[in-house]
Amino acid sequence: MALRIVLTCLLAIAAASAAAAVIPPGTVLSPKQEMVRNNGAEPESLDPAHTETVNATDIGRDLFEGLTSTDHQGNVVAGAAESWKQVDATTWVFRLRRNAVWSNGQPVTAEDFLYGWRRYLDPKTASLSASIYAVYFVNGMDIVGGRKPVAELGAKALDPYTLEVKTPGPVPFLPGVMAAAQLAPQPRPTIEKFGKDWTRPGNLVGNGAYLLKDWQVNSKVVVEKNPRYWDAANVQLTRVTFLCVEDASADLKLYQSGEEDFMESLPPGAYVALKAQYPSEMRNDLLLGIRVYSLNNKDPLLKDVRVRKALSMVIDREVLAAKITADGQVPLYGLAVKGLVGAQPTRYDWADWPMDKRVAEARRLLAEAGVKPGTHLKFTYNNSDYHKKMAIFAASEWKTKLGLETDIDSLEFKVLIRKRHDGDFQIARNGWVFNVNDATVLLNLAECDSDFNDDHSCNRAADALIVQAKLLNDPARREALLSQAARMMAEDYPMIPLLQYTAPRLVKPWVGGYGNSGGTNRYRSKDFYIVAH
Amino acid sequence: MWAYIVRRLLITIPTVLAVVTICYLLLHVTPGGPFDSERKVSDAVLANLQAKYHLDLPLWKQYLLYLNDLLHGDLGASFRYADWSVNDLVARALPVSLVIGGTAMVIAVVVGVGLGIVAALRQNSAVDYAVMLFGNIGSVLPSFVLGPVLVLVFAIALPWLPSGGWDDFAPRYMILPIALLTLINMSTIGRIMRGSLIEVLGSNFVRTARAKGLPMRLVVMRHALRPALLPVVSVVGPLAIASITSAIVTESWFSIPGLGKLIVNGASDRDYTLVLGLVVLVTVLAVTLNLLVDLAYAWLDPKIRY
Repeated sequence: MALRIVLTCLLAIAAASAAAAVIPPGTVLSPKQEMVRNNGAEPESLDPAHTETVNATDIGRDLFEGLTSTDHQGNVVAGAAESWKQVDATTWVFRLRRNAVWSNGQPVTAEDFLYGWRRYLDPKTASLSASIYAVYFVNGMDIVGGRKPVAELGAKALDPYTLEVKTPGPVPFLPGVMAAAQLAPQPRPTIEKFGKDWTRPGNLVGNGAYLLKDWQVNSKVVVEKNPRYWDAANVQLTRVTFLCVEDASADLKLYQSGEEDFMESLPPGAYVALKAQYPSEMRNDLLLGIRVYSLNNKDPLLKDVRVRKALSMVIDREVLAAKITADGQVPLYGLAVKGLVGAQPTRYDWADWPMDKRVAEARRLLAEAGVKPGTHLKFTYNNSDYHKKMAIFAASEWKTKLGLETDIDSLEFKVLIRKRHDGDFQIARNGWVFNVNDATVLLNLAECDSDFNDDHSCNRAADALIVQAKLLNDPARREALLSQAARMMAEDYPMIPLLQYTAPRLVKPWVGGYGNSGGTNRYRSKDFYIVAH
Repeated sequence: MWAYIVRRLLITIPTVLAVVTICYLLLHVTPGGPFDSERKVSDAVLANLQAKYHLDLPLWKQYLLYLNDLLHGDLGASFRYADWSVNDLVARALPVSLVIGGTAMVIAVVVGVGLGIVAALRQNSAVDYAVMLFGNIGSVLPSFVLGPVLVLVFAIALPWLPSGGWDDFAPRYMILPIALLTLINMSTIGRIMRGSLIEVLGSNFVRTARAKGLPMRLVVMRHALRPALLPVVSVVGPLAIASITSAIVTESWFSIPGLGKLIVNGASDRDYTLVLGLVVLVTVLAVTLNLLVDLAYAWLDPKIRY
């Protein structure tokens, strides 16, 4: 009995520490628990059904709480659900906590989640991100496509506090998916009462740790602690201001003049100098994201894997990371990155060869493929000094090491992405940061018929392995298959992996609770606290 | 006079229509659409979005629908900002731009004209050189140089003012952006006023007035100032429009939520309705300001009659 009580206490402590700001013993907190964080661009919406970018979802996750949540170390922790279990390969049951209420005092129930999910996937709502999460529900994609009514969504309320979710195949990482801002519950009475205006300050009813106080478009969003939040006792910050400053120089200036505590990003080329100037304030954690050059696998020149491999081999990632981008990003020699769940990191065998040997091999491959020195490559990127520097570096690598000429074309962002999606390019800048930490999400970039495959590459054998893996619920076997698929895809050289992203930013020394975010670059305000200073 | 004003206002209608039509077509032929993002939107989602915003209809039908909404004062739903209509966005950004741009313009006109008069009256003196030096610096230094200098001095070296941001028209956030816009416009107005007044002071009617024995102060105030203001008035219209609607660099540098930022974001997001709404607004502003400038001509120059 005594042992059970001790265990119960330990579990309770573990749950509490996982759920809120972890304050080291002896920390003296500031009496003023307020923080100003730059959030980058104006959020496109505060409605969970319409949020898409990190700029919106970061605020969204303060205002609304899904079944689960992710803390500052990237751990999946309890949110509106206090526990969950996978009852069979494709069925999950989430138990909602009884003490979770909306900011108007109404209880948060399973129906609120069902209403939110159905509204999010409803074709009439036309959410830009609908298909990203629809794939995790039975009938999800059919609902988005208008082929089935929303009522047929693979989720139901077993009772007011128990939700059952059916997935089309085994989704072992479903609890992590449920932390998405888009899958938060939605307050039906409020939405029906105010219509489009329901997200205005004063109208918005949320279930998150914070309440919306002010929203000045293109300027800031201010939130204040929600006293009715179930874990309010462990929420330290009483007021958080999200600035909408896109210009990185303006961001830095606000930081330096003391008007913000948390930068969104650094101006290009400023990392080294700023790190020397503010060594203890510079944070630069690895992200689950890859910076790549897309290769059009259907291009007459690039359809030959030997050419694609040769182009990839000669780019010196170490020099690129140390001298060109010089912002702490990590050289990348494969597709599956460090920190990814569900597949072992991949690394080309030539990554450890001396450069001379790599160049010799690349030249041999080009000669075999019949590509002569002086051949022209066409490279496109979107206007930015940062991408321009990288493009010039890559062009110089191909010129000096392989004798290939590169015509560099700079395009406006929307034009570039349209060309990439349409396959109207030869080599193009690209990059991805993953919304869900699972190998299937990453490998989706190179699957044959994937909407996200900008390289227009295809390896049916690797795809078959992914299909098999998606049917498995056993993590080890699943990982083995996905790792094999990742290696096969990498050996096809669909794209040129260059760097693994990091998130360099300055954070004031008095901001406590900053973690590595598990590579997500997403931070809940409830995990922060302000140290006396 | 009234007939002239009414006629000019009526001409606004075909002007706006022409501008809207051209912009509408240009936006639709620009490569890249409102829903293109790094992550390609699935066909099903794209179809839903196109249906929601009527983009699935033939272009002429979309255009007529848009015109119908426009006639009813509805600038449409923003493609990018799901929670706001274009009317909402403009209603929030316009006052910001009007206050910043308008204040800067008033100060620039008053001080610029004053400096121009002083410089003209003391031509080739130390005062003139000082005013001209100041004017030239203001003209040659672009706002993206002058802005950072102001911030460096008044926000970082001397932490008196915020380096940027906005808080519901709190004056401390407005001082630096207004100062920047004022400096830029003032120098232009000052130089034009100086040149114009020098020219007018050399004309026959001024010589006659002085020959009659009028003191210089009265010659300037009563006879020379009005004709000398004509070129200033000509530039005030375009400068005012630029201060209100195209203060893109200033707004971005100081993170001000005005129309300039909306225009830039709207264009890069291919937010068709937002861009069109702003184009309509700018057109109406331009036509109105031009009308005011023309009316000011008539007041300043007795030879002009409408």
